[in-house]
Amino acid sequence: MAAVSTTPTGTGRPVRPRRSRHVDPTRRSQAIAAWVLALPFVVLFLVFTAGPVLASLGMSFTDLRSTDVRDPFAVEVVGLGNYADLVQDPLFLKVTRNTLLYLLLGVPLTMAVALAAAVGLNRVTRLRGFFRVGFYLPVVTSIVAVSVVWKFLLRERGGLLTTAAGWVGLDVPGLLDSTTWALPTLVVMAVWRNFGTLMVVFLAGLQTVPREQLEAAEVDGASAWSRFRHITLPTLRPTLLFGAVITGIGYLQFFEEAFVMTKGGPLDSTRSVTFFTYDQFGFGNYGYAAAASYLLFLAIVLLTFVQFRVLREKD
Amino acid sequence: MATTTEAPPTPTQPDPPGPPRPRRDDDTRTTPRWLYAVLSVGLLVTAVPFAWMLVSSFKPERELRAVPPTFWPEDVTLANYESLFTRLDFPTYFLNSALVAIAVTVGNLVFCSMLGYALAKLDFPGKRVVFGLVLGTLMVPGVVTFVPLFVLTTNIGLTNTLPGMILPFLAGPFGVFLMRQFILSLPDELIQAARVDGAGELRIFVSVILPLCGPALATLGVLTFLTSWNNFLWPLVVATSEDKYTLPVALALYSVGQNATQYGLLLAGAVVVVIPVIAVFLVLQRHIMQGIAMTGIK
Amino acid sequence: MRSRTALSLATITVVVLTGCGRSDDGAGGEEQSEEIGAGKASGTIEVWAMGTEGEVLGDFVAGFEEENPDADVEVTAIPWEAAHDKIANAITAGETPDVSLIGTTWMGEFAEAGGLMPTPEGLVDEADFFPGAWESTEVGGTSYGVPWYVETRVLYYRTDLAAKAGWDEAPQTWDELRQFAEDLQTKGGAEHGLSLQPGQTGSWQTMLPFAWSNGASLTNDEGTEYTIDSPEMTEALDHYTSYFADEVSQTRVLDPGELESGFADGVFGSFISGPWHTGLVEDAGVGADQYAVAPLPGPDGAPGTSFVGGGDLAVFEDSDNADSAWKLVQWLSEPETQQAFYDEVGDLPAVQAAWETGELAEDPQLQVFGAQLEEAQSPPAVPTWEQVAAAIDALVEQAAKGTTDPEDAVKQMQSEAASIGTGL
Repeated sequence: MAAVSTTPTGTGRPVRPRRSRHVDPTRRSQAIAAWVLALPFVVLFLVFTAGPVLASLGMSFTDLRSTDVRDPFAVEVVGLGNYADLVQDPLFLKVTRNTLLYLLLGVPLTMAVALAAAVGLNRVTRLRGFFRVGFYLPVVTSIVAVSVVWKFLLRERGGLLTTAAGWVGLDVPGLLDSTTWALPTLVVMAVWRNFGTLMVVFLAGLQTVPREQLEAAEVDGASAWSRFRHITLPTLRPTLLFGAVITGIGYLQFFEEAFVMTKGGPLDSTRSVTFFTYDQFGFGNYGYAAAASYLLFLAIVLLTFVQFRVLREKD
Repeated sequence: MATTTEAPPTPTQPDPPGPPRPRRDDDTRTTPRWLYAVLSVGLLVTAVPFAWMLVSSFKPERELRAVPPTFWPEDVTLANYESLFTRLDFPTYFLNSALVAIAVTVGNLVFCSMLGYALAKLDFPGKRVVFGLVLGTLMVPGVVTFVPLFVLTTNIGLTNTLPGMILPFLAGPFGVFLMRQFILSLPDELIQAARVDGAGELRIFVSVILPLCGPALATLGVLTFLTSWNNFLWPLVVATSEDKYTLPVALALYSVGQNATQYGLLLAGAVVVVIPVIAVFLVLQRHIMQGIAMTGIK
Repeated sequence: MRSRTALSLATITVVVLTGCGRSDDGAGGEEQSEEIGAGKASGTIEVWAMGTEGEVLGDFVAGFEEENPDADVEVTAIPWEAAHDKIANAITAGETPDVSLIGTTWMGEFAEAGGLMPTPEGLVDEADFFPGAWESTEVGGTSYGVPWYVETRVLYYRTDLAAKAGWDEAPQTWDELRQFAEDLQTKGGAEHGLSLQPGQTGSWQTMLPFAWSNGASLTNDEGTEYTIDSPEMTEALDHYTSYFADEVSQTRVLDPGELESGFADGVFGSFISGPWHTGLVEDAGVGADQYAVAPLPGPDGAPGTSFVGGGDLAVFEDSDNADSAWKLVQWLSEPETQQAFYDEVGDLPAVQAAWETGELAEDPQLQVFGAQLEEAQSPPAVPTWEQVAAAIDALVEQAAKGTTDPEDAVKQMQSEAASIGTGL
């Protein structure tokens, strides 16, 4: 967490010219107000999050199993043993590789699709609400229905995709049964399923883009792309950062699509770190599962750090 | 929730002279036709599984298991819904779900916008630590804290209560981060102007910032409501008697068996559970696109 | 109870600093509980039961409440989905009901966790139950519950296709099974003669019966060590995977509904599954006269050994009305109650005497299941079973897809299982 608190958290406000030694009354009242505003979150955090997080972190240094929970003093402290075992566990290495692939493929695609949809919707005037609900439907559709329809699409025999590819003379294998294609296919499905959330966030962000500037630039003859690049994107930067971080966390914790579509197969080619952790919890290996979770946590911290750097909030 | 589209009057920033601001629907001329075509194709792609879910909830179990699946039902039946509504005590479950989801949503709207504003626009000691906590909490995989959180909840006597389902989720890091990022993109000049006018910090938050947060609050409202409404595992574990079940928990009761799944019940349940979510989305969505008037700034 | 739950959260952290050692006080070797009192049950008995069982049990126990006027049975239905998590969490926090339905493969974990009470002496007679079902309650030599209902896996086949292929009865040996499946394909017109699960979750339930039938045993007699790596196991896996190598079985995991509709369409000539499939295949349009069930064949003509699953009833350590809770369990294990419960929900009784009259004794299809239940095993009731099973599933998949040969796969199963341990 230390890494996070040292990330540049630029507040978007200019450095105050006057930073004298005596306490500025504005600063003081700001500090008081800020802590009043922060209080509910901090209290709830201390009550419901801090303890469980510390407990689970502690768990990761023990060999706690589900069968020990009624007698937690009886476990062995294994120090970094779980972590050492993890980095030597071939399955964990495989799921790590898979998870990185999910991340690298999924984040840019989801961001791009969501942004395109948001910008498109923002320009549309008629049927806007209709499209908006339509694009949000995958988010609210039951995963069961989603999996049935997608499996039907991807099925090797009689699937829509295979059939359609057959018309143009292509031989598309059963994508979900291929150790090569199953993972990218799940990414496409995840993009389809999740871009709606991000689209809504981006739409909200787009409302802060100053219309006057856009209009002025248009009058000055700036192209649509140039307006997007120089006015929309910079204003959207905090929202994009939010989107990147949230989406990054989402793909690093990739699970549900693989769970319903492939159960992690074929031959573990779609199993993710979270899937692995879920399994280990299911097996009752709480210590080992917690360690895997905290390695994932570290990866997320690192990714977020990089994202804050790249999409640095400028003054 | 802010519903106004007007910025609060700020005496030092008078509305500029000139024609009234164009309504946002005014730029029809700029919407090219190809955009509608692209969006329509996209809509087809996103809506088909939903449509299938809706239509298929009226199919008998036999037809649902047919491979390849049909789209239009051969036999339309209400049996799935009848079975759901006769076997489940709907009003109770619906009420529990609604109470939990509404409480969680309201809590997040209030608390997350408060902290989000402080993190975005105020200077205070400990700011980085608090933001670090927010991001850190966001990053901890939920599965890892589940068991300790349940032990804690039991310990403070909240099992089998609605507060036990609400309190742990009342102020989520997601919402704080979202609100912070949104408020960051609001111009500082607004706040400085209000300060010059002598408005207190909390007053600025309530009457200057919040009214501008319509889109972000609506977004957060939709997303939080959806998450809370669909939450399954936590309410299931916290509730130890059926009268405290939420809708998703109750709907899972008879659809998934030890060795076989009742797809009809599953889909009918999915349709029932999705209706309030769509309703909330429809109600809040216009605010997501609410234009923010920040005329005269910059 | 409060103090323990209060402790556990803090101690998980504290323990890192203090470093307390693991003591060996597992479920193994615990004494059975003392006999329950003779009087009638009284007080409130809280019961958790999943799905349909949970739905009907509330009314079903009226008979018990009539016999025990002071007892009040409160049933809470919980979804099968995540039932394991719910029970595990309840045990952790000490917030359990008095009695619960427990999936047979969870018994080892919950008993070892100290959540379940050993079955009282003399509560029921072990010999009344199907032996494989009773095994599922025994963890480290102590019984922690009573089997409630059972299911077992048998061979389903299309009789019309079989007749076309020249078979008027079910295969009796592995060689015959293999020939039968090939004939269904070549002469009967099926695309795949026998559909088997090519690995992935739960495939051990189809694969292990081949191993058990061949005399393989997963653990030693004491249940303390895995003995997976045996010639019998290798031979069984070799036979199992041969169906995939020659495309007699499909090599991919089927989607929900695909098996039944494929069976109806003649894509699959036969498959191995449990009793719930009779309804599913008939729903899919297979006429009752078009298919039959048969016991699994053994390798050389002796009856094969199948998998027995189902649900056990257990009383929790934290129950404050254990005596009455066990009386309820006892009542649910009486042959008449078992038969009545079958009539109500169709769950196959775990008590053999319940099969001696009525539909269970007369229906030929049910008789096949009844006969198979006498030759059926449960997996070792050890706390780590789910993890060992997942390892077996993964290696069955590798063997079925030909990326690991059966001998190496069996060796790896053994080494993985050994490193996982029994957890006792």
